[in-house]
Amino acid sequence: MELTINQKKHTLTVDGATPLLWVIRDQIGLTGTKFGCGAGMCGACTVHLDGQPIRSCLTPVSACTGKQITTIEGLSEKGDHPLQKAWVQVDVPQCGYCQSGQIMSAAALLKQTPKPTDEDITNAMSGNICRCGTYGRIRRAIHIAAGTDKAAAKAE
Amino acid sequence: MNNSQLASIAPSSERRQFLKTTAVASTGLAIGLYLPSLQAKTQKKAAAAQGRAGVEFEPNAWVRIFPDNSIRLIVHKHDSGTGVHTALGSILAEELEVRLAQVEVVPPSHPFFQAYIHPSWKVFSTGGSTSVMLEYEPLRKAGAGARMLLVQAAANQWKVPVSSCLAQNAQVIHKPTGRKLSYGSLAESASRLPAPTEIPLKNPDQFELIGKPSRKLHVQSKVMGKHQYSIDVKLPDMLVAVIAHSPVINARVKSIDDKAALAVPGVRQVIKVPAAPKDLLGGNQEGVAVLADNYWAAKLGRDALKVQWQDEEAFASFNSNEVGAIQKAYLASDKAELVPTIQSGNAADALKNGSKVLQAEYFMPYKQQLPLEPECVVVHLVDGKMHFWAGLQVPSNALTAAQHVAGLTENDIVLHDLTGGGSFGAREARHWLIEGAYLAKAVGRPVKLMYSREDEMRQLYSHAASYSKLEGAVDADGKLTAIKMRAVCPASPEMWEPGYFDRKDKMDYSTTESITAWDYAYKAPNMDIGWVRHETGVPTGWYRSVSFIPNVFATESFMDELAHAAGKDELEFRKAAMVDRPRHVATLELAAKKAGWGKPLPANRALGIATNQGYTSYIAFVVEVEKQDQTIAVKRITCVADVGLAVQPTGVEEQLYGGIMWGLGHALHDKLDIENGKVVQSNFTDYTVMRMSDMPEVDITILQGDKNKPGGVGELSSPGIAPAIANAIFKLTGKRQRSTPLSMTA
Repeated sequence: MELTINQKKHTLTVDGATPLLWVIRDQIGLTGTKFGCGAGMCGACTVHLDGQPIRSCLTPVSACTGKQITTIEGLSEKGDHPLQKAWVQVDVPQCGYCQSGQIMSAAALLKQTPKPTDEDITNAMSGNICRCGTYGRIRRAIHIAAGTDKAAAKAE
Repeated sequence: MNNSQLASIAPSSERRQFLKTTAVASTGLAIGLYLPSLQAKTQKKAAAAQGRAGVEFEPNAWVRIFPDNSIRLIVHKHDSGTGVHTALGSILAEELEVRLAQVEVVPPSHPFFQAYIHPSWKVFSTGGSTSVMLEYEPLRKAGAGARMLLVQAAANQWKVPVSSCLAQNAQVIHKPTGRKLSYGSLAESASRLPAPTEIPLKNPDQFELIGKPSRKLHVQSKVMGKHQYSIDVKLPDMLVAVIAHSPVINARVKSIDDKAALAVPGVRQVIKVPAAPKDLLGGNQEGVAVLADNYWAAKLGRDALKVQWQDEEAFASFNSNEVGAIQKAYLASDKAELVPTIQSGNAADALKNGSKVLQAEYFMPYKQQLPLEPECVVVHLVDGKMHFWAGLQVPSNALTAAQHVAGLTENDIVLHDLTGGGSFGAREARHWLIEGAYLAKAVGRPVKLMYSREDEMRQLYSHAASYSKLEGAVDADGKLTAIKMRAVCPASPEMWEPGYFDRKDKMDYSTTESITAWDYAYKAPNMDIGWVRHETGVPTGWYRSVSFIPNVFATESFMDELAHAAGKDELEFRKAAMVDRPRHVATLELAAKKAGWGKPLPANRALGIATNQGYTSYIAFVVEVEKQDQTIAVKRITCVADVGLAVQPTGVEEQLYGGIMWGLGHALHDKLDIENGKVVQSNFTDYTVMRMSDMPEVDITILQGDKNKPGGVGELSSPGIAPAIANAIFKLTGKRQRSTPLSMTA
């Protein structure tokens, strides 16, 4: 089958029932998308399918043919997407393991809602678990990237 | 002999041996290394082998300066999100006078070098909120000592007094003339200087890194998905393994039918993994491994695997919901043996004669660490050496695994420490390392052992359930006169500090946190506090904040109950019982002030307070709860923490916030159930963890009450949350809750 990932076409031999997550990680070799639960509950595996955030651990690869798959690696060439820059500015990641999924969920939010409220952010981001507890900084980083940050932008 | 006389070169491992035998353990300064001939001989060959011309400057266990100007700072602690690499790297860089952007912070290539040993535990490990606290002084000395030699080398070269030279940004500058020499150009000459005997440290007023807000290392790679974790390691010829464990604790394999499993495309082998012997503490349970080309194939193979288990009678009838009652009954029996921690006056009498006497019992359930990256290790036994790639929080555990499985010693193991995707105690366990090592030896190829979330949920080295019984008395003036406490729970894992329980006093420092003479917050004329060890036989493990959690829940809930019984404000009652604790009182008072303690609130809101000392730091919380219809919500948490010195203030704030989230988890969600010996929960579907939507407003203030001594932070902020919430709920509803998770129904 043929998959388009980060605007690049890949021809693969794979059982269509295989979750997209494992195809991305093990066959294509893009390991930025992470495995946290395999049950669609933690969001570590979040990628975009035609711009929509999906849990790739539960999405069979057969459902992804003919669509645009975007992983964290494809969000920007140089790691300078406004969200990535805001994440760095706010020093968001602790262990960092959940952050690919967090950023992908946030990117989908901002595409849909360029000026999100706190409630918009909570609704969009609460599917992504962070065990280190970076939620406060994630919220602040999203506001900074969206230009909706109320506090004076101070380098912490 | 001079440097030009190069005889046969001692290989790198021999040089390491030399370092080991001559290093001064407390400072890591390899004083004996300063034999010019040996140094230059070995350095030149090693440098040439690495393609680096000239001699490397290696004054101690933490600083490496190469002639090409590259600088490596060795940090011997594992980072699982705590920011310890940045904090310890900053300490070294500060004294060495380099910027973090100029260096590479790396783990040690010889992790069992004596200088890296944990100063208290005498094993090679990271944990206990001790890294910054205990390594602050030694690492300052290491950086400063290296800097001194570089400055001396420059002064020698210029033939000027040392006092006319300044070290800055990896250069030495001759102030009067402006001449500069890079550290790299000084490496060889510095390496020939004798070790300094006295090392003056930098004046803290001149700190540029320590105590300054900054970003952590590796943030850019983490936001790009480029940062590597154990799960991302891929080696040629590698097999991926998942292990089927018995649903019932400690059961044995009776029979294996692997026909269907082996028929799954990509599955290569099915191997039984024997349980570790009972005397190997922290050992793995018996299991059956499915090895395949990749994780998904292995997982499907395990799904198709049919294993019959022989249940162990003792556990097949174990129910976690009965543990509290069992612990309570045990305490009341004559089998209970008290390990006293604080004893003064005559509590028994005082409890009979108090104006008001109270008694209360507190229960907490099992809790699971659940780091977001499930445990994962890649092991490869090749050419007599066992390589481990993992979030290796405890190198000594890898050594134990290699010894147990293959009889190897520390010279035969190579560790590749990767950032852990969270630990919270999970990566301090060793069972998964033993299993990975076993499989690597069995198949003779690299093996990546992966735990699924379900495996993570039932991996059994979880936080122990606990029972605490407290009695207290106040006098007619409402002052605390007596406090009696029994903390009942299993001993902490004796996985390190060999001989832990051989001590005569049977003291367990990890189950008596916050209730010993040095960290208990309160003083009453009559105190009878201690721990009673009770074992259920179910393996338990390390968990963020360990016994601070039940001990602070019980202590801070009970202090509140006593305050109410005494008719006193909960804040004032606590302060009246704090003696000679100025930093602690200041922390508590500021939290109360910031939260508006004492100001009138609407009827559907209330404030609760809790405070404790931990890891030589102090912390206080005021929690605001609000009743909305039939639900109670946590609206706001005010936190003040005095951490001595905040080496990396940004990192400190992040750890405090994360710990607050953990405390909320204890209060609202954390409960692992074991029924008939089987762990009930399987995934985040039935074990709820904190999400963004669960977070209240959090206000954190960091105090620095002792700028010479950083206190521990990583585990400081979780224990006080649950009692503060319970105390607030009592004020709101008049109902006292004494077990977690709390009910948030009004």
